[in-house]
Amino acid sequence: MLQMTGVKKIYRTELVETHALSDLTLRVREGEFVAVMGPSGSGKTSFLNVAGLLDAFDEGQYLLDGRDVSRLSDAEMSRIRNEKIGFVFQSFNLIPDLDVYDNVDVPLRYRRLGAAERRRRIERALEQVGLASRMRHLPSQLSGGQQQRVAIARALAGEPRLILADEPTGNLDSLMAREVLDLLEAANERGTTVVMVTHGSECAARAHRRVHVLDGKVVEVEAAPSLVGAGHGLAQAVG
Amino acid sequence: MLGYQLRTAAKSLRRDPGHAGLVVLGIALGVAVATLFSAIHHAFARDPVPGKSGSLYYVRLDSWGGDKPHPHRSGLPPQLTFRDATALQRSDIPARQSAMFKATLNVFPEAGQPRRQTARLCSADFFAMFDVPFEYGAGWDRKADAGPEPVVVLSREANERFFGGADSVGRRLRIEEREFRVAGVVGRWPVSIKFYDLTQGAPSPEDLFLPFNFVRPMQIRTSGNTDGWGGSAAPGFEGFLASESTWLQMWVELPTEERARAYKSFLDAYVLDQKKTGRFPRPLHTRLTPLLEWMDEQNAVPPETTAMMAVSLLFLAVCALNLMGLLMAKFLSRGAEIGVRRALGARRLDVFVQHVLECELVALAGGALGFGLAALGLFGVNSLAKAIVLRGDLFRLDLAMAGFAAAAALAAGLVAGLYPALRACRVPPAAHLKLQ
Repeated sequence: MLQMTGVKKIYRTELVETHALSDLTLRVREGEFVAVMGPSGSGKTSFLNVAGLLDAFDEGQYLLDGRDVSRLSDAEMSRIRNEKIGFVFQSFNLIPDLDVYDNVDVPLRYRRLGAAERRRRIERALEQVGLASRMRHLPSQLSGGQQQRVAIARALAGEPRLILADEPTGNLDSLMAREVLDLLEAANERGTTVVMVTHGSECAARAHRRVHVLDGKVVEVEAAPSLVGAGHGLAQAVG
Repeated sequence: MLGYQLRTAAKSLRRDPGHAGLVVLGIALGVAVATLFSAIHHAFARDPVPGKSGSLYYVRLDSWGGDKPHPHRSGLPPQLTFRDATALQRSDIPARQSAMFKATLNVFPEAGQPRRQTARLCSADFFAMFDVPFEYGAGWDRKADAGPEPVVVLSREANERFFGGADSVGRRLRIEEREFRVAGVVGRWPVSIKFYDLTQGAPSPEDLFLPFNFVRPMQIRTSGNTDGWGGSAAPGFEGFLASESTWLQMWVELPTEERARAYKSFLDAYVLDQKKTGRFPRPLHTRLTPLLEWMDEQNAVPPETTAMMAVSLLFLAVCALNLMGLLMAKFLSRGAEIGVRRALGARRLDVFVQHVLECELVALAGGALGFGLAALGLFGVNSLAKAIVLRGDLFRLDLAMAGFAAAAALAAGLVAGLYPALRACRVPPAAHLKLQ
C-alpha cells in the first residue's frame, strides 16, 4: 500500500537545515495496522505529512498503492488525498462553523458526489461512530471524544484505502481514547490500512506492527506479540 | 461545486461580521464615488435617441466667404443660412427632416402676467425624428407646417405654468400677437443635454415648439448664435433672411446608407448650383455628421466630467488596494481551515475560487451600499443643478448605472482579493494542521 525508500525531508531556513527524514525506508502492506512511535522531533509527523501527500520530500522514492507520487501535480495529489486517504488529527481539525453533518460532508463535496450518495455515506459513517443523533450539532457542542469520532467519520465517509492518524488519542482521556482506537481497529478489520503516529504504548499495542523512528529513520520494527509468526514480521516491514 | 463554494464563502463572512463590514464599507465608498461621477459623465455621453441615432445626421455646408475658412475646427460653419435651410427642406430624400432655431417669445396667458419663454421653431418631423415623448396630445402634422397653422407644443413645465399641469390639448395660448392652439404637451424627456442644438450651452429643451414657417409672418429672430459674413443685401427682416448669416440647425433622418449617399450627392449638387449664382465662393465642402459624432465634435461631454470620472475610478482602485491588506490578514489567519480542506481533497483551485467568491460577495454588498450612497450624492448634485440651470433631473441612476456599479464593485473585489486568494491557496497544507 505504502512504500518509502530512502526518503529525505529537509526543512531549510537561512541559517539552519533540519533533516526531518533521513533515508527513511518503510513498507506498509494493504490491510495492516501500523503504529509509528518515537520521541518528539524524531520525524513522525514529517513522515505522516509526506505519506499523506501534504508535504513534498527532497530525495528518495515513495510509491503509494504502487504509484510513484513524487512528481504529481497539485490536482492529482488532491485527488489521491480525497479518494485514497483519510486523515485523523490529534486536535480533530473540525471546521468550527460547520455542523457535524457538514464537516463529514467536506471531502465528499470535493469528490463531487451527488447529494443522495453523500447523504448515504455521511449517515452510515456517523452511525459507525455512534453520532447519528448529533448530525446538526456544532463541534463546540461536542466533547473531545465526540469530536474525534466525527473526525473519524469524516475519514471513513470517503471510504479510503488508507487512514493516517496523527496522535489521534493525544487530546483524550483514556476512556475516550479507547473508543477512538476501537473505531480505528474496526476500520482496519473492514480492510482499511491504518498508519497511526503515537506516543502511547497502549495505543501502539493495538497495531500489528510498531515502527520506531529516531532522527528521521526507522530504527526498529516490532510485531505485536499476538502477531509474531503470523505473517507481519520484521522482514516484511523494512523494505 | 460553485454553489457549495458560495455557501462556504458566505458562512466564512458571517464568522467575522466586523471585518466583512469594514471591507463592505471600503468598497461602498469607492463604488459610490465612481458611480456618482460616472453617472454625471453618462448623463452627457449617453445616446439621446437610442436605436436610431445612427440614422440622424446634422447637415453643414461651407457657405463661408473670404480667404480663410470658418474658424470652427471642422472649417465649416456649424449652422445654415435661412436661404439654404429652406431650400434643403424641399428635398424628398430624407425620411424626416427639420430646420430649426431657438427664439425667445412673449406668452400672454389668460391669467397672470406675460412671460418670456424659450421657443424652438421646427417642422412637424422634429417630434418623431427625436422620439419626443408626449404627456398629452402629439406634435402637429405636415399640413400644419405648410399653412402654417397656429399650433404649439408645450414643455411639461410650460404646461404646468400656464394650465396647472392639466390636459391642455385644444386650449388657446397667445404667443406674441397670435392665438395658438395647444397640440400636445411633452412628457418626461430623459435628455440631459439639448443634443439637437449643440451650438450653445443651454442644457434644457425649450418651453414652446412652433411650426418653423412662422418665422416670416411673425418675423421671429433667433436668440441663439448667429455667424455671418458679407452683410445684408437688403434692409430689414427680409434682408436678414436673405443674408449669408448662419443661424439655423438642420437635421435629417436617413435610414439607409443608400439614402445617406443620395442626400450627400444632393447637398453637393445644391452647392454647385448655388456657385453658379455667385454664392459659396470657397471650395465645395458639405458634410453629413451622425448624431453621436456631432456630439463628440461639439464636446457635448465636458472634458471635466471625463477627468472626474477617471479620478473617481482611480479612487476606487485605491480603495480596493487598501482593502487588500485586510483581506490578506483574514485569509492567512485561516491557515488551519485551509490546511484541513486541502488535506481532505480541496485543490489549490478550489481554495482560490472559494476565497475569490468571498471577496466578490462582500464586493457586491459594497456595490449595493455604494449605489445607494451614489443616489444620495446625485440627489445633492441635482438640487444644485436645479438652482443653477433650473433642472433637477439632469443626472439619474438608470439600469446602465446599476450595471456599472455592480461591475465596478466586482472589479474592486477582484483587485482587492486576487492576491490574498492566491496566497491563501498556496498555504502548505501541512503547515497548520499540527498547530490548531
